[in-house]
Amino acid sequence: MTPFAYQRPARVDEAIAAGADRGARFVAGGTNLLDLMKIDVEEPAVLIDINRLPLAAIEATPAGVRIGALARMADVAAHPAIVDGYPAVSQALLASASPQLRNMASIGGNLMQRTRCTYFRDTAFPCNKRVPGSGCSAIPGDHRRHAVLGVSSACIAAHASDLAVALVALDASLRLRGPRGERSLPLDDFYRLPGDTPQVENALQPGEMIVAVDLPASSPARRSLYLKIRDRASFEFALVSAAVGLDLAGGAIREARVALGGVGAKPWRARAAEDRLRGQVPGPEVFAAAAGAALEGAQPHPDNAFKVELARRTLVRALGQATT
Amino acid sequence: MASFLPCASGDFAEAPAAPVPEVGMAAPDFLLPAADGPIRLSDFRGQPVILVFSPPGWDPAEAAQLALFNDTAARLAPARARLLGVSLDGPWCSLDLENEGGLRFPLLRDFDPAGGVAHRFGVYGSRAVVVIDGDGVVQWKHVFPAGLPARPEVLAAVFADLAPPDPIGPSLTRRQFLITALVASLAAAAWPAPAPAETSAASPQGSAPPRPPQVLDLTLQVNGVDHALKVDSRVTLLDALREYIGLTGTKKGCDQGTCGACTVLADGRRIKSCLTLAAMAEGRRITTIEGLAREGKLHPVQAAFIDHDAFQCGYCTPGQIMAAVALIDEGHAGSDDEIREWMSGNLCRCGAYPNIVAAIRQAAGGKKA
Repeated sequence: MTPFAYQRPARVDEAIAAGADRGARFVAGGTNLLDLMKIDVEEPAVLIDINRLPLAAIEATPAGVRIGALARMADVAAHPAIVDGYPAVSQALLASASPQLRNMASIGGNLMQRTRCTYFRDTAFPCNKRVPGSGCSAIPGDHRRHAVLGVSSACIAAHASDLAVALVALDASLRLRGPRGERSLPLDDFYRLPGDTPQVENALQPGEMIVAVDLPASSPARRSLYLKIRDRASFEFALVSAAVGLDLAGGAIREARVALGGVGAKPWRARAAEDRLRGQVPGPEVFAAAAGAALEGAQPHPDNAFKVELARRTLVRALGQATT
Repeated sequence: MASFLPCASGDFAEAPAAPVPEVGMAAPDFLLPAADGPIRLSDFRGQPVILVFSPPGWDPAEAAQLALFNDTAARLAPARARLLGVSLDGPWCSLDLENEGGLRFPLLRDFDPAGGVAHRFGVYGSRAVVVIDGDGVVQWKHVFPAGLPARPEVLAAVFADLAPPDPIGPSLTRRQFLITALVASLAAAAWPAPAPAETSAASPQGSAPPRPPQVLDLTLQVNGVDHALKVDSRVTLLDALREYIGLTGTKKGCDQGTCGACTVLADGRRIKSCLTLAAMAEGRRITTIEGLAREGKLHPVQAAFIDHDAFQCGYCTPGQIMAAVALIDEGHAGSDDEIREWMSGNLCRCGAYPNIVAAIRQAAGGKKA
């Protein structure tokens, strides 16, 4: 690990002032950042421990839930307001990582985890995300677990957060606080596609910090679920996952929310699929049409081409489960 | 071939002021330290010399850069000579080229802390590449702008400077051109990496000083006892427990948050101590495997692990037990399936899983299997 200066501010404004320095990084749970620091992929000069900041509250109102950025994954997953009003969020959290990591990892940190692959983690290989311009080792290499949507010739790493898939589906937005004040940004707009600059993963400005996640209450959120398909039964990243939320009325789908995980360079909101579902009577053909629309434009590589069909089937199954 | 020694101090550039050499002018001569006495740059007449004025930590031998060299060589040289390998041999750099044989040039590392050579070439405080041909004439010179330019900008500048329509033109031989292209590529490849701690000869400015480790005074409360520690900020809770406090019951398995051997409780919640800095644990109540027994009596989970022979080699066992204690406390021991799911953060290479599940079931108050 490269040496760093450790700081532990007690106030948010102190942390933001310190975080504006180039080379400074915030650490909360540390489950992603410290792991990457140990293998010299991340080398912050200043590490700002934000665990003492008062940002861990979960506040539920009829209009929605505000989740403090420092709330831990385990606590959010078990919170009654989340379990009842946003089951996809609770299920996505419980399908993530392991119990120990869920006790440690914060909600803000989960959303800030690097979009990464094994080549990103291995400094012996070229990687455009780690060393811009050095090339992508995954495209000619092992890319079975990589993304098929939103990828570029520079990077095909998949975004690994289960939580973000559920949050993007349910129209979550972030409260960001920085040196110039506070702003709100839809989570879907927060993430950037790799394009020519895979090292830029989100819209966060220097010194800015996620202070909360706002989750609006809705009918699709109440009838939502998260389905994760993986190589192992537990403690494993998604090969493919789907978050769906439906508002059913009079035997038809009034409103739908769909997002996919494991297949996108960012958490993948599938609005084309939602359009195919809205107003339809739920059934296998409608689900198949929606799944087809969700995967339109997929750019698979030889070893991850199976994900296109697997994602379609996963979405069809998730929609089936959400309507029964 | 003279063998070079790194030199700690001293200005080996010769004193007399001379005009800064531009392309087509003779390069200034200077002394290089060598094991058998200093030698001059001019001693290298007959072979090209490449001077790279770089930030500290620049290492052309990094495997990750080979692809860049070849990419640039392919774009610039019709012959498409491939670079087979780069190696550093003391201050020498060897490029092993397909079709072109080997090239060997000195890397002026660690011998000119005062920047005299950089001053003589007019590149003091900058990142620059200078190519001197076998006659001692500067053939190519590029000074990069200050700051950390994006790699596409650097390559664009390099290509703009090179870009002869016919690389085997009157001014450059193909071989010289290839060297130039490779060096440009080397230099470009060096850019985005922030300087690690290492002193550099040619660029005393613009190089971040090595980061000193930070030593912290911490108090960790472990098993009810306060421990005052002086540790590097990089020390994890796991290493603090094992190496500083002497509680070696907590095990280091993967050291990357996967295996669970390092599981401890913080304020009663199970965490992985390998992904927690010691500093982050200050102010929390840490419980390790050594803190479970009470007055010589094993914790029920410890006793159940013995009852059920829930281990073979035993290495993962302290982590399994700490995770199981927390699992029962959380109320996740309702069924064998639930136990398995909630123990997924702890791996056992011996495969004692059935016995571990049985032990947890017993400790949680279920039927003794």
